[in-house]
Amino acid sequence: MSEARSPYKMRPPVMQVRVEDSMDIMIVRDTTRRAAGLLGFSPAHRAQLASAAATLAELVLKTGEAHTVHLNGVIDGARTGLQISSETPWLAGVSANNVLIALKSKMGDLVDDILLEREPAPVIIMIMWLNETRE
Amino acid sequence: MALEVLLVEDSKTQAQQIKETLESVGLRVRIAYDGPDGLREAIANPPALIVLDVKLPTMDGFQVCRRLKRNPATQDIPVIMLTEKAGPKATMSGLRAGADDYIPKDIFASEHLIDTLQELGILED
Repeated sequence: MSEARSPYKMRPPVMQVRVEDSMDIMIVRDTTRRAAGLLGFSPAHRAQLASAAATLAELVLKTGEAHTVHLNGVIDGARTGLQISSETPWLAGVSANNVLIALKSKMGDLVDDILLEREPAPVIIMIMWLNETRE
Repeated sequence: MALEVLLVEDSKTQAQQIKETLESVGLRVRIAYDGPDGLREAIANPPALIVLDVKLPTMDGFQVCRRLKRNPATQDIPVIMLTEKAGPKATMSGLRAGADDYIPKDIFASEHLIDTLQELGILED
């Protein structure tokens, strides 16, 4: 199983869900809500994060390969957030700009940041940062 | 006295299942089977919480939620949308309409509903 990667320092919660079929999408959604709850996100923001994670899992599942969705707390200075990520090896060689435009158009309203880390293998990373209005 | 929940759900089978979940944690449940009826019930006798389906006849759950949140008599009542529409657009439509949570109707729905009731202070932990 792959390990989570992030441009930020990672902190608990550290959770992962192996996604092999459509039933696992529900588990991704459930696990994301729980991870977001542990960090203190409000129910509405848990719903946003759960939708983002489930959508990412669905997108990756459509490629026909089993994969792992990672859920990690992340820290950037005084900010804390929840990172949702998944390795996406089939994106090697695809324009990062095109991928990011497609992802932002589908999920840009759900999270603050959507990133594509290239090395050593492509990983889609989505983050929502916690603030007073989201607790 | 138990807090009262207004459940707006057009499917009688699903309404019964959700009612049982809510009653199992000590809440009283009133049911409205369409949007206009739900709005009338909420205004006439404001409940502690509204659980709202999205797919409703006459007026969908997003419209109902927006009207509830615009009306001073109902705007402070927490609304949880419980729905089969789980995609990003529907989720954002529900939250932008003013819902306090947006829960897909899947195998975890009851657990998420109860978690949220605790989070909103409707139930004690």
